[in-house]
Amino acid sequence: MFLQKGKSFGFILIFILILLGLIIIPFFVDLFYQTFLTELFVWILFAISFDLIFGYTGLLSFGQALFFGLGGYTVTILIRKFGLNTELSLLFSIIIPILFAWFVGYFSVKLTGIHFVIITIIFAIIGNIIGDTWTSFTGGADGLTFSPPPYRLGLFQIDLMDIKGNYYFVLTIVAISFLFLRRMIQSPLGKVFISIRENEERARLIGYNVQRYKLIAFIIAGGLSGLAGGLYSLTLKYASAGYLHWSVSGHAVVYTIVGGMGTLIGPALGAGIVMSLEHYLINFLQTTDLVVGIVLVAMVLMAPKGLVGFIQSRFKKGETSA
Amino acid sequence: MISNLAVAIMNGIVWGLIMALIALGLNMIFGLLHIINMAHGALYMLGAVVAWYVIELTGNFWIGLMVAPLCVGFIGLIIERGLIRTIEDKPIITIICTFGVMLAVQQLVLMIFGGSPRRISPPIAYRFPLFDLQYPAMRIMIALISIALMIGLWIFLRKTKYGLWMRAVVQDREMAVGLGIPVNKVYMWTFVLGSALAAFSGVLAAPIVSVEFMMGREVLIMAFIIVIVGGMGNLEGSVIAAIMISLIQGVGALFVPPSIATVFALAFMIIVLLIRPQGLFGE
Repeated sequence: MFLQKGKSFGFILIFILILLGLIIIPFFVDLFYQTFLTELFVWILFAISFDLIFGYTGLLSFGQALFFGLGGYTVTILIRKFGLNTELSLLFSIIIPILFAWFVGYFSVKLTGIHFVIITIIFAIIGNIIGDTWTSFTGGADGLTFSPPPYRLGLFQIDLMDIKGNYYFVLTIVAISFLFLRRMIQSPLGKVFISIRENEERARLIGYNVQRYKLIAFIIAGGLSGLAGGLYSLTLKYASAGYLHWSVSGHAVVYTIVGGMGTLIGPALGAGIVMSLEHYLINFLQTTDLVVGIVLVAMVLMAPKGLVGFIQSRFKKGETSA
Repeated sequence: MISNLAVAIMNGIVWGLIMALIALGLNMIFGLLHIINMAHGALYMLGAVVAWYVIELTGNFWIGLMVAPLCVGFIGLIIERGLIRTIEDKPIITIICTFGVMLAVQQLVLMIFGGSPRRISPPIAYRFPLFDLQYPAMRIMIALISIALMIGLWIFLRKTKYGLWMRAVVQDREMAVGLGIPVNKVYMWTFVLGSALAAFSGVLAAPIVSVEFMMGREVLIMAFIIVIVGGMGNLEGSVIAAIMISLIQGVGALFVPPSIATVFALAFMIIVLLIRPQGLFGE
């Protein structure tokens, strides 16, 4: 099955097919859906970066909003106040969250279980309060707007103010990030992360410096969350202190649980399903948290491994009975 | 200045007692079931909202104060029996599950109750002079009710059969099962009691703050802070920490902007978590 690791050929085939599908879609749907899909790609990136620390390393962090918000602000402020070009500001939207993730992670990985969850929430709250208070720099709850300059790539020029241009730009970066994460998880480093999730004590006894590996996972996830935030503000041409609120991390939690943690493809699928559901429900409801909450609870109770896990277990049952 | 300080101290104590009730509920559930109830703030909000409806209907604050905890306790019963029971041995999963409950409850209240904040007028309008300012007597009443509830809880835990069982389960669950204590039931009643305490504090806070669907979100975080500073599972510690923290916040807000005071409180909590994860008052 293509969902299992190690079956590279099937995966590459499916990945290319999906990518091709996403490349031609903008020619058939209107601008509204192009924006919707662009936002979906951003949340997919946020969700898979969360999956790295939660699904693969076993650390539930509600602090990812901090890095998401930092990434968003980095892009916004660098372009708006310093007139930097898009690719450099995006690069910084990885680097600056990485530095913060290093700092936050250095303290957080010393704690385990519930204490880890709470300390990550606290760091995010501190970020949110500072963002809310320091209005001269961040625009507070009202936020800051900006217009990104066109992005040059060799002979091509991609206008990020153009929705279709932005679509392909975000799609490319998210696809590359996905492959990067997948490759990393299959590497020896990824195996160490999984061994920590499965049995931290054993990983330590084998001789791995568990805290150091947790910190590495936290930093990588932080950098990619920052990139997601940077792409998000590029898409909306806007960043606000609301990005930093710890409940933003809840998005990643929901997508990961619904799709299936520790699978990469699961959180991406989860983001697609939940966002489409929300998009549909918004016609009837003011906001969709009620349904999202119920879906989350139902998944946790009935299919804790998410949709992907559910499908996989069905296939395995089929195999053993055959 | 001295009158401002006196009012800040009074407010700090009153608010600290309300926070202590919320934190006690959260901490009892943690101490016994070892789960973090992310929906606790939503239950606090629900208490205030139910009380608002009851008061609209009957015009009597005290009936609201009686009915709301019963309703929310019942909802707690449903949450514990229906959801948490099945996943109680996976602490991280229960965090996610109760987070989902929080989202759903908040949204349900938004749909039924509406998004605009509403007020519950205090049943005691009398104000007494405090130096050259006036201080509402209702807040003193709120503080006294909170203290009465805490004494009641203390008696319940120390003098009744269920209280003895609860303490036994906290100490050694295996042994408690071995001695024939219905651990399952003790879990259920602890969760119900914790939910009811959250509702009590919601009703008591309602005349001071306004009632709206998001009112539990910040309070949940404050309750976390209190539980951690006081020590997870340490109920006396929670009460001391609640009053201490809200006094520091209240008095500190006279000198620095409130948001800065909160950032310092949070930074202090990170240090506590790192150096003394068992809390300031733990052994």
